[in-house]
Amino acid sequence: MDNAVELDGRYVPSEDVVVREIEGELIIVPLVSGIGDMEDELFTLNETGRAVWKRLDGRKTLRDVVAELDAEFDAPAGVLEEDVVGLVGELVKRKMAVRKA
Amino acid sequence: MKPALVVKDARELALDGESLTSLMRDVLMKGRPFRFRARGWSMSPFIKDGDTVTVRPLRPSEPASGDVVAFLFPATGKAAVHRVVKVEGGRFVVKGDNVAEGDGEVGRESILGIVSGVERDGRRVKLGRERGLGGALVAGLSRTGVLAGGLKAARGILKPRRKRNSEKPEHEGAAAAESPGPPGTVEKGRVRHGSEKGR
Repeated sequence: MDNAVELDGRYVPSEDVVVREIEGELIIVPLVSGIGDMEDELFTLNETGRAVWKRLDGRKTLRDVVAELDAEFDAPAGVLEEDVVGLVGELVKRKMAVRKA
Repeated sequence: MKPALVVKDARELALDGESLTSLMRDVLMKGRPFRFRARGWSMSPFIKDGDTVTVRPLRPSEPASGDVVAFLFPATGKAAVHRVVKVEGGRFVVKGDNVAEGDGEVGRESILGIVSGVERDGRRVKLGRERGLGGALVAGLSRTGVLAGGLKAARGILKPRRKRNSEKPEHEGAAAAESPGPPGTVEKGRVRHGSEKGR
């Protein structure tokens, strides 16, 4: 499977996760193993990560996401793009996000 | 701040009962089992405090008498894991094995899932439901309070005797009386901030 992330791609949370905001933290419970296992590793996203995640709606391209975040966060040119692609790549690799066809 | 996916140990998350219940519902609604650490003694000895419990979605013919289920108390919305001791008119009477009084009746819509496995110290624990006759027997014993009464009697036998005019038990190391905890089966933890592994 090609997990390469593209700026012109549109991405959404995968069906193989359960996500819930609890006390300000976005808790991600992977279901890839076939079970929601609270005794296994769970994941959260930091503030910037949450800002990316909330924009993975399948309508915006990653380029659009970068543009929106550029207005919201003070980051050097090019760095934000690299960070967004990096995070989404990690999410895709872990099957937490998928590219929308 | 660079966006980061942070690995968390579930035991460090401050998940209260309501949060854990929400996650359980979400996972079960996706048709997947949910595995978590139970708290409380209301289902002892079948499920003890600290056991790892797996709950799976209900099948159409479930639950039946004797099954151990995760359910919501209709009045409070709080979740518990107890046994179905009677099925009557499409309603389910639930009760903790180690509790004298039952929880009352609930409808199927209040039942989140059925316990498919319990692990203790790395081994699977039997729930008294492995065969139909066994399940009915355990349900009957639980419903009539015989199970809770038998456990109470056993605890009375095992409770260390105290010397007159002394607060110290005569023999240390004997099993202490265990009072049934609240029916909730949720573990609280702590949130650990700042640790970002996996990047």
